[in-house]
Amino acid sequence: MDLETLKSFEWSVMTPEFIILGVAALLTLLDLFLPKKMDRRILGWIGIVGILAAILSVASLLNVESTSILDDSFTFDAFGKSFKLILLVGSALVMFLAISYDAKEGMEDYRGEFYYLFLSALLGAMIMTSSGDLITLFIGLELLTVSSYILAGIRKHNLQSNESAMKYVINGGISTAITLFGMSYVYGLTGTTNLFEIANKLAAVTNGQQAYLLGLAFLMIFVGLSFKLAAAPFHMWAPDVYQGAPTPVTAFLSVISKSAGFVIVIRILISVFYNAAPTDNGEGILFKMHDYLAVIAAVTMIIGNVVALKQTNIKRLFAYSSIAHAGYILVALTTMSSNLLYSIWFYLLAYMLMNLGAFAVIQVVTEQAGSSKISDFAGLARRSPILAVLMGILLVSLAGFPGTAGFIGKLNIFVGAFYGTPHYVLAAIMIATTVISYFYYFGIMTQMFFRPASDERKLNIPFGIVVVLLVAVVGSILFGIMPNIALDFLNNLH
Amino acid sequence: MSSIPASAFLALALILFCIGLYGALTKKNTVIVLISIELMLNAVNINLVTFSKYGVAPSITGQIFALFAISVAAAEAAVGLAILIALYRNKKTVNIDEVDTMKN
Amino acid sequence: MELLNVYQNNYLIVFVFLCLGVLLPVVALYLGKLLRPYKPSDAKYTTYESGIEPFHDSRVQFNVRYYIFALMFVIFDVETVFLYPWAVAYDKLGIFALVEMLIFVAMLLIGLVYAWKKKVLRWI
Repeated sequence: MDLETLKSFEWSVMTPEFIILGVAALLTLLDLFLPKKMDRRILGWIGIVGILAAILSVASLLNVESTSILDDSFTFDAFGKSFKLILLVGSALVMFLAISYDAKEGMEDYRGEFYYLFLSALLGAMIMTSSGDLITLFIGLELLTVSSYILAGIRKHNLQSNESAMKYVINGGISTAITLFGMSYVYGLTGTTNLFEIANKLAAVTNGQQAYLLGLAFLMIFVGLSFKLAAAPFHMWAPDVYQGAPTPVTAFLSVISKSAGFVIVIRILISVFYNAAPTDNGEGILFKMHDYLAVIAAVTMIIGNVVALKQTNIKRLFAYSSIAHAGYILVALTTMSSNLLYSIWFYLLAYMLMNLGAFAVIQVVTEQAGSSKISDFAGLARRSPILAVLMGILLVSLAGFPGTAGFIGKLNIFVGAFYGTPHYVLAAIMIATTVISYFYYFGIMTQMFFRPASDERKLNIPFGIVVVLLVAVVGSILFGIMPNIALDFLNNLH
Repeated sequence: MSSIPASAFLALALILFCIGLYGALTKKNTVIVLISIELMLNAVNINLVTFSKYGVAPSITGQIFALFAISVAAAEAAVGLAILIALYRNKKTVNIDEVDTMKN
Repeated sequence: MELLNVYQNNYLIVFVFLCLGVLLPVVALYLGKLLRPYKPSDAKYTTYESGIEPFHDSRVQFNVRYYIFALMFVIFDVETVFLYPWAVAYDKLGIFALVEMLIFVAMLLIGLVYAWKKKVLRWI
């Protein structure tokens, strides 16, 4: 490849990635050479500026036709643009949380790492959104997960943080190996790692043995990625990891990691397996495996919501709640309706806003109380009425009440379940589990508004938290009342 | 020389993978669990290299993929062991079943 | 058919070698036992450490620093794997790969600087 080909690539479409990479490298060096005494929060602010610059550059590239460079290994299309925006906005909010995070012990020396590891994880997720090659997809995924391992264990002298990171490493490692094993079979059957070529070659597979091997590969990849999504029955790591990790990291895992997980699932499932090894009536392997997907979606919704009922720790409760939300999104994936992309994208957007907002409140309350029990929320309405009302709005959105973004997200998925072949059972389970989820979301509400406070101190709310809460609440209500903004935005992408 | 069929390599990889999975899921000692995970990743490498030579459509890409898989496995092992050391300093054990401060 | 004979002959050599390998130490040790005088004493049962008197258990825990060095080595060692294919195919790849490699090495350098500033490279 000579200089001319190199120049002919439209490198401008990679600007957001380059910005994040540059800022991460800059922060690393700054952290090393700035004087020890200096407050490391400045690095966090530089990181936020970097992410905002990346958001601006994605926004300026929105009208660019979908381009692919580097032999299709980097594809900048509508899918990439839309999901990149969610990841970037989510990461910016997580950075605000991180700046306001003040751990009691365990990370005095690692403030700097805390900020730039978020950036490297974000870079991995962004690469995944626009990758058209199995190798870059895998490298992006690993960049994200390895950074998250360190982030989960960044409170080095805190036993719970260590434990959470250790469990994450073991589960993540096993899931990586399983995914990779499946990918190796896909490569073996096609001889290429380019997703589009793979799709073409797999569509021509008619040999029964090869189709069988492909089914095996599909199951392995899906099982491996289910670990990353924390879909039942591969969700066991999530509660422990979420509970032990520092709160901003928990927020990151539950929003950015999960969105990235769905990105890779959609990329691989839709582009590789959709038409693979078609039967006589033209249905790809994805349709044959359809029942497994449906079972996983149903089990995920049921386990997530039911086990959440008996939790006493707020971070554990949100871990199960995030498992349940993954289940709802899996319903959209299972039904394969024509509005699949829109409904998943919208749900992830709504989920990002409401969950990050809720985690902002959780961070304030747990830091003040020094523990993360649900009973610490008692009397929040008296201690800080504004915080309680905002948390109330976010909880209502998480529960999926009309007028909020959460409701629209669920509605899209619910309606999608009746496109094509209707999925009555899945839709019924979705409604039933949503009703179950009211119990635990309103359990927190009862604590906040009707229980006497054990601790009457006023809460001081840092600036970063205010920003996150404002964006989250305004977004949740805006997209709840006028969801067509998001729909128009997505439709105008090309 | 090419008398060994590709299926032998694939079977070897599959057996290695299963041993690794068994070890990762049953062993108590975290170091052994990490080694088992390495075993699984190496099984993948055998698969990739086999397919790149004897696959349906042989190509060099598989070997490149294997290189990436090797380096990622090294990074993962390094991070895993570093976290294990931090855990050992606080808890004085490397047995994963004794690490259960968050059960409720 | 001739090829098969060659194969079988090769295995025959391996088999003979295996038998020799097992028999030799057995015979040598047994002969030694037959020929040597038997006069045990305490000094004979101590571990031989080049003339120094052994002073503690032979199994010691290694300093954790060795491990940090080993980790550093593994990471940089594995990253070098990418340099070899590039170096071998340098003429074909041209300027593009050179630029890519420079970026790659710069990133590795940041890692090295990190380790250096965090005092991983110093033996205290």
